[in-house]
Amino acid sequence: MADGATAHGGGEDAVLAVGRAIHAALPSAHGPLRGLDERAMELAAQDAQLRAALFRFVDVVPACRSLDDLARHLTGFLGEVETAKPPPIAAALRMGSTRAGRAALGAASAAGVRHMAHRFIVGATVGDATGVLRHLWDDGVATSVDLLGEATITAGEADRYAARCREALEQLTAVYRGLPPRERLEADGLGPIPRANLSVKVSALTPLLRPDAPGLGQRDAATRLRDLLRTARSLGAHVHIDMESLDSREAVADLAMELLAEPEFADGPSAGMVLQAYLRDSPELCDRLIAFARDVPRAHPLVVRLVKGAYWDHEVVEARQHGWGVPVFEVKAESDRNFEALTVRLLRARADGVALRPAIASHNLRSVAHAMAVARALHLDDGDVELQVLRGLGDDLQGALAALGLRVRTYCPVGDLVAGMAYLVRRLLENTSNEGFLSAQHEGVPLERLLAAP
Amino acid sequence: MTADPLPPFRNEPVLELRRAAERQKLLDGLGWLDERLALRAPTWIGDDRHDGDDLVSTDPGDPSRVVALAPRGGPAEVDAALTAAERGLRGWSATPAAERARILVAAAAWMRERRPKLAAACVREAAKPWAEADADVCEAIDFLEFYARGAIALERGRPLFELPGERNTMSYVPRGIVAVISPWNFPIAIPTGMVAAGLATGNAVVLKPAEQTPLCGFVLVEALRAAGVPADALGLVQGDGGAGAALVADPRVATIAFTGSGAVGLEIVRRAAEIAPGQRQLKRTVIEMGGKNCVIVDSDADLDDAVPAIVRSAFDYAGQKCSAAARLLVHEAIADALLDRLAGAVDVLQVGQAGTFGTEVGPVIEQEAQERVARYAAQATAAGRVVARRDAELPATGWFCPPTVVTDLDPAAPVLREEVFGPLLTVERVASVDEACDRVDALPFALTGGLFSRNPDSVDRVVARSPVGNLYVNRKITAAMVGRQPFGGNRLSGTGTKAGGPDYLLHFVEPRVVTENTVRHGLVV
Repeated sequence: MADGATAHGGGEDAVLAVGRAIHAALPSAHGPLRGLDERAMELAAQDAQLRAALFRFVDVVPACRSLDDLARHLTGFLGEVETAKPPPIAAALRMGSTRAGRAALGAASAAGVRHMAHRFIVGATVGDATGVLRHLWDDGVATSVDLLGEATITAGEADRYAARCREALEQLTAVYRGLPPRERLEADGLGPIPRANLSVKVSALTPLLRPDAPGLGQRDAATRLRDLLRTARSLGAHVHIDMESLDSREAVADLAMELLAEPEFADGPSAGMVLQAYLRDSPELCDRLIAFARDVPRAHPLVVRLVKGAYWDHEVVEARQHGWGVPVFEVKAESDRNFEALTVRLLRARADGVALRPAIASHNLRSVAHAMAVARALHLDDGDVELQVLRGLGDDLQGALAALGLRVRTYCPVGDLVAGMAYLVRRLLENTSNEGFLSAQHEGVPLERLLAAP
Repeated sequence: MTADPLPPFRNEPVLELRRAAERQKLLDGLGWLDERLALRAPTWIGDDRHDGDDLVSTDPGDPSRVVALAPRGGPAEVDAALTAAERGLRGWSATPAAERARILVAAAAWMRERRPKLAAACVREAAKPWAEADADVCEAIDFLEFYARGAIALERGRPLFELPGERNTMSYVPRGIVAVISPWNFPIAIPTGMVAAGLATGNAVVLKPAEQTPLCGFVLVEALRAAGVPADALGLVQGDGGAGAALVADPRVATIAFTGSGAVGLEIVRRAAEIAPGQRQLKRTVIEMGGKNCVIVDSDADLDDAVPAIVRSAFDYAGQKCSAAARLLVHEAIADALLDRLAGAVDVLQVGQAGTFGTEVGPVIEQEAQERVARYAAQATAAGRVVARRDAELPATGWFCPPTVVTDLDPAAPVLREEVFGPLLTVERVASVDEACDRVDALPFALTGGLFSRNPDSVDRVVARSPVGNLYVNRKITAAMVGRQPFGGNRLSGTGTKAGGPDYLLHFVEPRVVTENTVRHGLVV
């Protein structure tokens, strides 16, 4: 990418050097799902039909009413697999033919799914998650907590989500208040960084998000979001407004920028937005975000979390079903290249003095190394770049980054099993995708290839 | 003749209304239309257009706004139209399928160029909310494109077994004159589909559109005429039931394509069976009528998906789609949770004018419909328990009905059997999906149905037991797409002829088989 190469004076050599350093700090090679449930995931990664059966089962677990019901669903899904069944699958199907077998199978499979969920979801409530959050802080890792929930389709559900968010902000503030200082995590060149950090979904704050009428959901969510911003301001906490599918992007982006520009919030809270690099038109939103950070006077810099994007399958299927142009890059390398181009734009804005905090959220060693190399070439301090990973997927990377003294934040979903299923399925999908960086890493692709320009 | 074969069929993409620029196109179309109201929607026979103002179509959201003025045709207009059609049939039936197809595809292009204006006509005349108005026009385009290709394929005939010494061919020829009697609820799509099927297969067509939507009927005839359909091959008679009855009774009509109410549909079937003096052909009926569409919810359904899909199915376009959900049959284990969330989802339904983005429930088509829905809603409310009634802040003008959900009804309540055709949904608890299937099976209708279940065994059982023409699993039960979900009902819902499907055109043709002896003096020549 020409833009990137000129920005990080050292070019590819500098990226390689950073990448090697991070890699050296990683624990010795093992899969992203070490030990636990690795067998099922490996089977799923190799066979599309088994993968579908596994996802359908994980998806339905919270709706099953008994062990027998669980086992009947599992054998129902496995029964539809037409490819050769590996021995453990055949054994499961045999167990499903008797009542006692179903009870055992139901119990074992439910335990397996719960186990899997606990990898990605830190607790049913913020209270349950306190230990994990403290432990991460001790290890030099900040967090952003995301409250998982059922879809919001009623006003009552929107109110309840807003109430949970308020409560979470208070609990997080209390949890972090008692923790020892972590200089790296609490300030950068632009000033102090709040400890308590909550990610919020606009789709959960209103039942009225409609793709063809963004103003409708925007107006309805505004009241609840304003309330949350006030709570966060009084607590000194950070609110990060998540981005979801393209259907709601206009409403979410406009709402966030409108509210954060209100005079009432000029003094706070610290807030952030998300930029999804897989969207072909993401450079436009990038420009808007930079212009907002530059032009709207706020006490706290705008945090921009750069992600690849988690709704790729949804966006592609929806576009194909409607005959629309696919809004996301269909070739992964294009998405990766755009991620680097956006990284450069955000870091350059920061280097030019814009009150913007770039947060690079990726498990791709190349993307992370590239960001750090660019930052250094732009004479930014390492601490001026935040690196973000997902709980359960980026645990090793998180450890390596923290060990190198980089500023790392882990996105920690909180919620019960029912609420967490949609999230879990998305993470599993990512984890069994053959294109993902983590699986390439797991398969032993040489470091030079992993670090090569996309 | 077309120089190039047609590219493979693909559905006309609906507008990507999540993008502001696309929304603006529709608003511009509406602005264009509003500047020109009221429009004339004449009867159009051959090259003669007869204006009139006996029929007045108004905006159901604001009855003081006149959308179009049309004449009320009767037996004289029907006679003139059929006389012209007899003339038109000679040339059109002799036109090769490829040429007919070319003209239909040109009509699709005409519509494609005017999509926002045509959608605006659906908004104003039928109060279809934007997304559905746009989809209506897309579906009309799809029918033209789909049947154009189907007619070319049909002209090739079907292969037959042959033994030495014989040559067998099977071909399909047009049946004659098609009378199309169309409804107001898909005011462009459905008449375009029925007319296109008749024309594609070489028949002459006389269209009598719904009296509520004469403008929409007129514009599709305009599209086909502009594309090159000969004047006599396609006639338009504006009018009400009188014109329809005259068409159905005329011995010159070979095929009647009707979509509409059950009462009228059954009357057409009856009348079509009577042989009039001078009639030389059995009339064939292609009939789509109503339903009492049920959605079954299993105990393991994902309510995050099911509730919004049920709300869409029951209340989009104020429940005025033949495919709309009317009865919900819910597994008792999940019923309380579902009712709770359903009530909340209905409470936030956007009831408003069709031309406002975000509106989900517009007005019903006319005052009579409003009264009918209100009658059924009152019956249901008196006999059962109201789960939700979204009646706050209904617009002051227009034929609005509050979206309503009622449960705990007596199994014998008429509202559980009769088609309401409005925003009223009833909910029943069942002990199992099998019990739900029993209740579905007891109905005389079989149009659409739905199932929400994540259990492959439940899905298999319901699929096997479901009599409906279109069963939707884990999605809303409306919005069938041409070529993907051939649409139409069984039992007393219709003739099962499946609009937009691979077999539809067969109902507009008659098969002819020719067997030629190729043995001469003991030799196969």
